[in-house]
Order: sequence, then C-alpha cells, then structure tokens
Amino acid sequence: MLRMRSLLPPLLFTLAYAGISLGVTNSYYQLILTLVPVWAVFGLSWNLLSGYTGLISFGHAAFFGIGAYATALGQIYFNISPWLLIPIAAMLGGIAGLLIGFPTFRLQGHYFALAMLAYPLAILYVFEWLGFQEVTLPIKRDAPIAYMQFSDPHIYTLLGLAIMLATIVLTQMIERSRFGMALLAIKQNEAAAEAAGINTLAWKLRAITLSGAIAAAIGGFYAQVLLVVTPQSVFGMLVSAQALTVAMFGGVGTVWGPVIGSVILIPLAEILHAEAGARIPGIQGVIFGIAIVCVILLAPEGLFWKLRDLLRKRTASKAAVSDIAEAAAANVTALKPASRQRGATGEVVLEVKNLSRSFGGLKAVQDVSFKLHKNEILGIIGPNGAGKTTLFNLLNGFLKPSQGEVLIDGRNMSGQRPHVICEAGVGRTFQVMRPFLRMSILDNVVVGAYVRARTDDEARKMAADAVARVGLSAVADRVAGELSTKELRLMELARAIAGQPRILLLDETLAGLGHGEADEVVAVIQQLARDGITIAIIEHTMQAMVRLVDRFLVLDHGAVITEGLPEVVTRDNRVIEAYLGKKWVGHAAN
Amino acid sequence: MDKTAKGLSRRTVLSGAAAVGLAGVARAQAPGEIKVGLIVPLSGIYTRPGQVMKMGAEMGIEHINAQGGIKALGGAKLKLVVIDCGDTTEKAKNAAQRIVAQEPDLVAATGSYLSSFTLAVTEVTERAELPVLTLSYSDLLTDRGFKYIFQTAATASRQSELGLPTLMKLAENASGKKPKTVAMLMDNTATSVATAKALKEKLFAQEGLQLVVEEVWTPPLSDATPLIQKVRSAKPDLLLFMPNAVSDAKLGLEKISEFGLGQGKIPTVSFSITIAEPDMLQSVSPETVQGIMTIVANWGSKGHEALIAELKAKYKEPWMTQNVISTYGDMWLMKEALEKAGKADRNAVAQAFRTMDAGPSKYYPGGQLKFDEKGRRVDAGVVIVQWQSGAPVTVYPPELAQAQPFWPKKP
Repeated sequence: MLRMRSLLPPLLFTLAYAGISLGVTNSYYQLILTLVPVWAVFGLSWNLLSGYTGLISFGHAAFFGIGAYATALGQIYFNISPWLLIPIAAMLGGIAGLLIGFPTFRLQGHYFALAMLAYPLAILYVFEWLGFQEVTLPIKRDAPIAYMQFSDPHIYTLLGLAIMLATIVLTQMIERSRFGMALLAIKQNEAAAEAAGINTLAWKLRAITLSGAIAAAIGGFYAQVLLVVTPQSVFGMLVSAQALTVAMFGGVGTVWGPVIGSVILIPLAEILHAEAGARIPGIQGVIFGIAIVCVILLAPEGLFWKLRDLLRKRTASKAAVSDIAEAAAANVTALKPASRQRGATGEVVLEVKNLSRSFGGLKAVQDVSFKLHKNEILGIIGPNGAGKTTLFNLLNGFLKPSQGEVLIDGRNMSGQRPHVICEAGVGRTFQVMRPFLRMSILDNVVVGAYVRARTDDEARKMAADAVARVGLSAVADRVAGELSTKELRLMELARAIAGQPRILLLDETLAGLGHGEADEVVAVIQQLARDGITIAIIEHTMQAMVRLVDRFLVLDHGAVITEGLPEVVTRDNRVIEAYLGKKWVGHAAN
Repeated sequence: MDKTAKGLSRRTVLSGAAAVGLAGVARAQAPGEIKVGLIVPLSGIYTRPGQVMKMGAEMGIEHINAQGGIKALGGAKLKLVVIDCGDTTEKAKNAAQRIVAQEPDLVAATGSYLSSFTLAVTEVTERAELPVLTLSYSDLLTDRGFKYIFQTAATASRQSELGLPTLMKLAENASGKKPKTVAMLMDNTATSVATAKALKEKLFAQEGLQLVVEEVWTPPLSDATPLIQKVRSAKPDLLLFMPNAVSDAKLGLEKISEFGLGQGKIPTVSFSITIAEPDMLQSVSPETVQGIMTIVANWGSKGHEALIAELKAKYKEPWMTQNVISTYGDMWLMKEALEKAGKADRNAVAQAFRTMDAGPSKYYPGGQLKFDEKGRRVDAGVVIVQWQSGAPVTVYPPELAQAQPFWPKKP
C-alpha cells in the first residue's frame, strides 16, 4: 500500500510529461524537453550522495564525463552499441565512485567539497592530453536504432524520462530503507551515526558508487543526445555546477528537488537564451543568476521544502490545539520510588584498565581503571575539563587510547571503530544534541535500531518500542524541529536504546533541563536500569545524580580521585576540593 | 525579421513547452527575400570573434543587395538571421536546433568559430539538410562523411603542411640560410595539439629541423619565465609560439622581450590568429611584436583594400582578420550557389555547393571555389602574416602580399 502510494506521483508526472512531449512537434522544444530529464537525473545522482549525506560534491562532472566519454569512445573504437555502452558507463562510474570515495571520505565538510572539485578538473586535462579534445559520435545511417540514433526526437525524450522514472523510484526506495536512514544519520551527525552502530564509511562508499553509476549512465545518454563530446562539455566546472544548481534550487535531500529544479531552470535558461540573448547577448546569464539568487534567498533549502513548510503550516494551524493537549498527556509515567536492586555486586560487563590518552602534552585521561557491573548506574562526575567526555570517547571508539584496555564482556575492544563497539552492545548519547529536525521522532529513532534489526519493518518495530519506553509514543509522528529540549533528550535516549544495547553511555543527558523536567528524564533512566540496561552517566548537577546513581566515579585532571557510594563520595574532601577549591573544604566539613 | 514574425516567435517561446504545437507556423515573408543564417558566439568568452564575424556577414549582405541581390531569383534580397551559439557545445547544439526548427525557410548558414561548436552545430544541420559553410579548420569536421558541411579554410593538418615549408623558404630567401633547430611552446587546446602532431610526426623531419625545446602549458599561462628561459639557453634558429588566448600571448611575448630575445633575435612564428588580433596592441607595444609571423587560414590582403577601409570606417576595426574576411566571402559564396540553384531551397543550394566550380576564389587564399567530396575547398591555401610597424600585414603568398617579409637576423 505504502509502496503504491509513493509510486503514483512519479508515475503520473512521467505520464503527463510524456503526453506533453508527444504533443510537441518543434524539434527545438523537443530537445529542451529531452534535456530536462537529463539534468534532473544528474541532479538526483548528486542528491543521492550530497543531499542525503550532507557531504557536498563539487565534482560530479567526473562521473558524468566518464560516462559520456565511455559511450562515445566505445562507439568510435569498438563499434559497440550505446544500448550496451550506457550500462557499461554506469559500471565505470560506479567503480570511479568507489576509487574516488575511498581516499576522499577521509575528509569532511569544506575539505571534502574542495577535494571533489579537483577530480573532474584533473580528468579533464587527462582527456585533453590523450587527444580527445573533440569527439563526435559516428553517424550510423544503416542501423540507426541499434545505435540509439533516432530521426524522431520524441524517442530521446521518452528514453530520458524512463531513466528519470527509474532514478526517482530507486531514490524513493533508498530514502525509505536502512540505506537512506544511514545516509541521513551521517548528515545530521556522523559521529553520532557511528555511535549508533552505522558503519558510516561503508554506507558512504555505497552512496558514492551508486551516485557515480547514475551520473555516468546519464552522462552516456547525454553524449548520445549531444552527439559531440568535449572535455569542457562533460568535465567542465559548469557541468558540476549544474547538478548543484538544479538540486539546490528545487530542494536538497528530497527526490523531488532536482526534478523541480530541472523542470523550471532548464527551459528558463533556454528561453532567456533564445529571447533576451537575441536582443542583448549575454543578458540571459545575468537574469538567470539573479533569479537563482532571489530563490535561494527566499527559500534557502529549495522550493520543495519551502512549499512543504507552507503547506504544513496551513494544515498544522488547524490541528494545533488538539495536538498540544495530546502532547501534555504524553508525558512520562510518574516517578516511582527506586525499587530496583542495586547491582554493584553483579558480574562485570565493562572493565577499563589503566586507560590513558594524551593530546600532545595534555594528559586528558591518565591511568583510569574502573569496573561497570551488570545492571548498575555509574555516575561519572568531575569539574569541567576533568576528562569525562574524553573517557566516553575512548570507551565507544571515537578516540584510540594511548595506553590501556577497554574490556567489554571480557573482550578487549580498545581501538575498535565506534560502530563495531555499538554492535557489541554499547550505546551512547551526546552532550550536544543533533537531531534531524525535519524528520519525525520515529524516523530519528529508527536510525539507532538498524544495528540490531535485520529488516526495515523490524527496525520500525524496535524504534516504536524504544519511543514507547521513553514515553514519547503520542508524539512519535511530530517532526523533531517542533520538540522541546526535554523531548529531544528523550528522543536521543530512545535512539540510543533502539539498538537494544546492554550498556548505555549517557553524556550530560540532563543538561539544559529545568527541575521538573530533569526528574522526568531521571525516571526514564531509572526505568531503563530496571529493565536490565547497565548505565554510565556523565553529569554536572549533583542533586539529580545523587538520587539516580548507585556509585560515583570522580575524575579530576583526567585521573580518578575516588570511587564509591554517593553518600560517601559527596563528603570526600578531595571531591569538594576539585569542585569548589581548597578553601571550601573547611566549610564543607562544618 | 519583420514585426509579425518577431512577435509571433516571442510569444511561442514564452508560452513554453505547453504551446509548442504552434511552432511550425509558416511565417509571412517579404517577397523576394532569402534568409541565410549566422550561428556564432555572441555571449560568453568567445563573443569577440562572433562579433567580428557578424560584421563580415553584414557587410557581405549589404554589398550583395546593393549590387542587385540574387539575379536568378528576380533580384531577391538576402536577409541575415543571426543566432547566438553561446559558449558551450550544448548551447551551440541548442542554438542550431532552434534555428532549424524556427527558420524553416533558411537556405544556408555559416559559423561557428570554435571547431567544437561547429561540430555540434553541424550534427543538427546535417540532419536538417541545411548546408553550412565554415571557417573552422579541424580535420574532423569534414571527416565524418557529412554531406551538408563545406569547409572554406585549409584543414589544420593541411595548414601546417603548407605553412612550414613556405616559412622555411622565406627564411632561406631572406637570411641566406635554412633554420636548423626549432623550439616549440604551445598550449594544449585542440588546434595546437593537432598542429603540433603534424609538425612532430612529419614536417620537422621533412624540413630537416631539430626540435630542441618542447613545452606545453594549460591555459591560462601564469608565468612564462621557465618556458622562455629554456628557449634562451637552447638558442634555437626558430621559435614556434602557439598561444590561443590573448593573455597567454601577451605574457609570452613580454617575457621574450624581457629576456632580450624579441624583435627577431629569435624569429618567432605562431599558428593562429590570436597573436595578430587587434586586442594584442592593447596589452603589448608594437616593438614587442615587431617581426613576429603567424600562419593563418585567411586574412584581409591585397585586393581587399576597399573592404578593409570600409571595415575601419564602419566598425573601427584596424585590420581585417580571418573571421571577417571569411564570413564576408561566405555570403558571396551563398549568393553564387543561389544563382546556380535558381531557387531558394536548401537542398538545391547544397547541391549547388557540391557541384560548384566558380574559378579562383576572391575572398579565400588560393585554390578554387569548388568543393571535393568531403566538402573541403579544393586547394585551399594559407596566408602568412607578419607584424610590421604595429600592424599585421600579409607577406605570403606573393599575389596577396601587402608587404615584403623580412627575416630577422641573429645579431
């Protein structure tokens, strides 16, 4: 049912477009109608990588050009039909994606974008050096159809449409699957995604491979339409920019964005070129540029999101009243007195031995050892800069220890990648929340479930279960952008437990919460502990902690000061000194 | 375009894809008017050559119409349809598609400066059976088995084949000895690469020249010092300097001058019109370019004095480059074909080009107004142009020469 509903709009759109195309007899307009799906597919391929992962590629022309040249040269030198060459081009594009992705994914943010920029420019010069400055597709007068050379230009448009439909459906399938969720998780917070058990490098490589394959296939088709291939026309800066332009104009991170962008921009550019350019040559570029600037200013995330937000606002304002009442009711079950058995004597699930990590001369964590027993809540406290978060980062694999071991169930896991540690049963939350604001709570949580779930349905079920455990079921369909800090904290918690961890590392989960709110979150954490999860929590606010934890571990300057029951630790002079300074020790004694 | 036609076409285009059915509408046409097309870049980085080609076309049409139009068609007047082919191959292809879709009564066209653009344009015009004349000289253009393209210039490989021996002869006559060593500095654009290939594979050996320095750069050139340093230490008898951007040419020539190799201390030769463009004088002094020669497919020469004067008066162009004179000549060639065809029909005009044999050509160097089966002008020649006192003048072939060549001698 869901599948059909998502299939219908692209199918209808394609049919309508094909209908218009068949009604067009002017060969020039037909050519424009052919170019729209070409650039839409190229935009979609870019969107698949950059839109969903947030890793902006300025170099998608690399794949496009490889596809175009493969299709052209295959015909010239080996006399292979483009019907075969375009799939081959897709394969080459995929391989190129893998080869480019592997080294380049070491970089992030702007560095990734700039590195990507270099590939098509470098390849451009290689093709010039090889002597392929101008390549034309041989005209096949005897077997035109076998070589995709149609005298009826409608067929090109229909072929382009078919490729576009296939790409849209593929993108939709990815969007809904574990693949899409993994990419979105990488976009919101790559570190958090790793921590949630997602092998980010593997998913990114899959994304760039697929993206490269699509871009190369459409590049091959483009060569077939243009009939002439030059390095500038397929590897040039303008080609890479075209993918960004249509996607950003239409909307990034959605299947409809590049399509909308292409449907509007490509004909607009041509009309301007034909009409304004005929009177004042060059003016078309100026108008086109200004138009794009205006749209980006008014709808910075693209037309699609702007329209969707407007639509949502209209429907939301009606439903708002009842919604609020529901949300209030959805609050967490009342705080029950701690009836849980203190687990400090149970078996050891996590053991840290002489763990150290230094950054240059700074010893952030030095020689820390402790044991986490099954089903206990361990509070890790210490003043700012004591090394608490660094310790967590060492535990879940963000950082490699300089020395020491982390044993999970007796197995040494120090130095493993975060997603491996997550698979071993360690979940974590972060001090700074980075939810995906446009996604619903449930979708935010599903990301965490994939580490255990085998199928998409199972993941959804596990996510719904996790949402219920933190008491957010009633608001599960709301988008994260509308939530309060408390709800976001709970959502983070739900994401961390969706993967059914045995050990949970909570990093300042109570930060930024008011008194009453903190109590509600504390209640949820206690419930989780009752359900058998072992918890280590970092926190500043002593008050809440004292009631929550079974045992304290106190850090200062990266080293353990003391360890023990809450009532003992809070009276320890060394702890008071670390928190408040020497002169308070005397006061505290009184 | 008359007013009705213009208004109609604007509306059709603006109403966009939905209203496209309208496009094939036959247009009202003034009686006795025959449309010919000019597909050239009028926006983007190749605007300037496009503009001067337009000047040539406009002058040609004006002269033909003033002299009574097409006599075989009752004195019908020619009308120029100009279309901007932009600065990319995709734009060029779109422009060609537009002109064939919206100007169904066009009988012939000319264009499109850069050979990449001409390649894309002719892929469309070939299928629409519209004959196209071109001044682009890539060999590939007429190697595709196309029937509706006619290349008026000698192809790139032919130009170096013709140019280098002539140059060597010139050197021998003027200085009394044949150059023995040569240095080659080139950018890596299609034209330079094709020329260099012909030179290295065949012509240097044939002329007994030894290549002592070979340097290739990717435009834009940022610093010419290392290139020129190599030339200075190798002291070749001949320097082939092949830039295709005015800025690259300027940098190279200034460095040559700075190193004291200018003014013919090492005779410098180029293979494109870049180095003889009027723009050059805006960035370098006449002394810097004095004596430099270039081998080109066409140039305003002896016999074109009235034309050159008119170009100067009307458009303020100091001299007549290949782009102007070839496009001007194309208009006359179209007239010739129309007279021969006897009707304003593109296929008849194409057939007239194929079978034409109109004797020696007036506006292209050498050969005949006759095309071979590939569409190449029979015996198309080259022109050697030399900078003399602040202007590039034709020095070869003798029948076109405006001045005697001088071969700079090593001091």
